Amino acid sequence: MTTRTSLLTIAALLVAAAGVAGAQDARLALIRDNATRDVVNAQLVSASSMRLPAEPFVSKALEGVAKKATLKSIRSAMAALEKRMKTAYDLLGPSATVDELAAGADAISMGVSEKTIKQMRDRAPNRSIAMELGVITELVARGVPAKKAAAMMLDLMARGATGVQLTALGRDVQGDVAAGLKPDVALDLRGRGVLSLLPPPPTVSNVNVRPR
Amino acid sequence: MNEIDPAVPLRARAGDEKAFIEIVEYYYPRCLRFARNMLGSDQDAEEAVQDAFVRVFDSFPRFREDARFDPWLFRILANRCRTIHARSRRHQSLIEYGDLPVSAAAAPEEEEFGADWAEEVRVILETLPVEQKEAFLLRHVEDLSYEDIAAVTGVGLSALRMRVKRACDTLRARLTKVEK
Amino acid sequence: MITDERDEVIDRAARSLSALPMVNPMAVLEITAAAAVHRSMRPARARAVLGWFRRPSLSLASTGLLMAAALVVGFVTRAALTGAAETLGTQTSEHPVLTPAADAGAASRGVPVPMVYDAKNARSVTVVGDFNSWDPAATPMTRVGVDGPWAATVFAKPGRHVYAFLVDGTTLVADPRSPRARDNDYGGDASVLMVPTP
Repeated sequence: MTTRTSLLTIAALLVAAAGVAGAQDARLALIRDNATRDVVNAQLVSASSMRLPAEPFVSKALEGVAKKATLKSIRSAMAALEKRMKTAYDLLGPSATVDELAAGADAISMGVSEKTIKQMRDRAPNRSIAMELGVITELVARGVPAKKAAAMMLDLMARGATGVQLTALGRDVQGDVAAGLKPDVALDLRGRGVLSLLPPPPTVSNVNVRPR
Repeated sequence: MNEIDPAVPLRARAGDEKAFIEIVEYYYPRCLRFARNMLGSDQDAEEAVQDAFVRVFDSFPRFREDARFDPWLFRILANRCRTIHARSRRHQSLIEYGDLPVSAAAAPEEEEFGADWAEEVRVILETLPVEQKEAFLLRHVEDLSYEDIAAVTGVGLSALRMRVKRACDTLRARLTKVEK
Repeated sequence: MITDERDEVIDRAARSLSALPMVNPMAVLEITAAAAVHRSMRPARARAVLGWFRRPSLSLASTGLLMAAALVVGFVTRAALTGAAETLGTQTSEHPVLTPAADAGAASRGVPVPMVYDAKNARSVTVVGDFNSWDPAATPMTRVGVDGPWAATVFAKPGRHVYAFLVDGTTLVADPRSPRARDNDYGGDASVLMVPTP
C-alpha cells in the first residue's frame, strides 16, 4: 500500500467515524459514563469499517445502560454482537437489510445454525427474511430444538407460508409452551396446522430447478 | 326513551372528559342493542359501537349547540353499522371463529316469549333489506320519532314510513305463520 | 298516509329485540379511557394503526384491565384514522378501511403495537426495546385514568423484538404478560414481542 493510499484510507475512516458518531450523537448522549461512551464510539467505527450498520450496536449499548451493565459487560456484548453481525452479513449477503442482519445475529445468539440461516436466505433470496428469522429465533428461545425449528421453518417457507401465518405460529407456540405443552409438540401441532392451509409441496423436479 | 341532560353533550363538546364518560356509560347499552340487532354479531356490534363513540368524540366540534344529541349519536352509529354490514356481507362466506351469532346467547328476557320465537324474530330480521331493518329498529325498538329517524338516516318521512311498514308486514306475515 | 301499525305481533317482536344487552364494563372502560389518552396521540403516528387492531391475538395472557387498556391504545389510534372524514347522514357513505399496508410510510415506521403496564405507584413509565434502540425518551407511557395502568403504542417491524418497561427512570422490569426474553449478553429482565405482518 502506498503512503498516499494509506493516508486516503485513514482519512476515509476518520470521515466515516465522524459521520457515524455525528449521526448517533443524540442517543449516545444517553450514555453518561465517558468510558462507556468511548467504547461504544470505538465499536461504531469498527462496525462501520466492516460495513456493518450502526443501529444494532447503538441499541445493544443502550440496552446495556438500561440494564445497568458494567463497562466490561457492555464491551464484551458489543464484541460478541460484532462477531454475530459479521457472520449474519456473510450468510445473508451484502444486500441484507439492517433488520435482517440484526435478526440474523439474534438467531445465531439463540442457537439457530448458520446452515439454517443460509438455507432460509436461499428460500427467499430477493426479499427480507427478518420476520422469518425472528420467528425461528423465538421458537428456539421457547425450547424447540433448533433442528426441528429449522426443518419446520424451511418447509413453511418452501410452501409459501405468509408473514401473518408465521408470526401467528410463533405466538401460538409461545402460548402453548406457556400453557405447559412441550415445545416440540407445540411446534408440530401448530406447524401442521399452518401447512394444512398451504398448497401442496412443489414436485421433485421443481425443487431441483434452483437459480444459480 | 329518556335523553341525557342536554348540558352533558355540550360539556363534552367543550372538552370535558367526564362528560364524555357520562355519555358513554349512559348510551353504551342502547347503542350495543341497536348494533347487535342490526349486525347479528356481538363482535361486529362491539366494533361498531366503539368506532361510533370514538367518532362522536372526534366529531364533537361539529355538534351544533342547538341540536339534539340522540339523533346525532344514532346517525354516527347507524353509519358505522352500515359500513360494517357491507363489509360483513362481502366476507360472509368466510367462517370467523369466535364470532358467535347473537342468537347463540339468548337474553333472559327472550324467555318471556320462548327462545324459539325470539330466535325466529331475529332470523326474519336478518332477511329484511338493511334499510327496512334499520328503520324498523329505530322506530319500534329504539323508539325514535320519524322526524328523528329522518335526521339519523337522511331519508324522507314518507319513505321511512314505507320502510317500517314493509318490515312490519314481513314480520307479521312470517311470525303469524310460526304461531299457527 | 301510512300509519304506524304496531299491533300485538309487532309489539311482541319489538319487545323481544329490546332487551338491553349485558354490557362488558371493560368495553366501556376502553372507550372512556380512550377519551383520556386520545389527545396525547399524534394523528400522523396514528395513521398506521387502523386495521391492525382487529387482529385477535395481540399478546399472550390477555385478561382483565391491562388488556382492556392495551386495547384502548390501539383503539384510539385506529379512531384517529377513521374519524377525520366522518360525513354524517349520508346513507351510502362508506369509510374506506385503511390498513398499514395502504399507508406509504407504514413499512418504515413498523406496525403499531399497544403496550400496557400496571404500576400504580410509579411516577413515570417508558417502553424501551430494540424497536426504539432502548432509548428511554422515545416512548413514554401515559397513565390511563387516575390510577389506572400505563399505556403507549410502539411501532415495530414484523418479527421478534425484546423490550422492557423502565419505571421511574431507574428500574427495568419485564412485561408480566409476555414471555421472558433470554439474553445471553447482559441477562436481566426483558420480554419478547412477536409483531405480526400487517
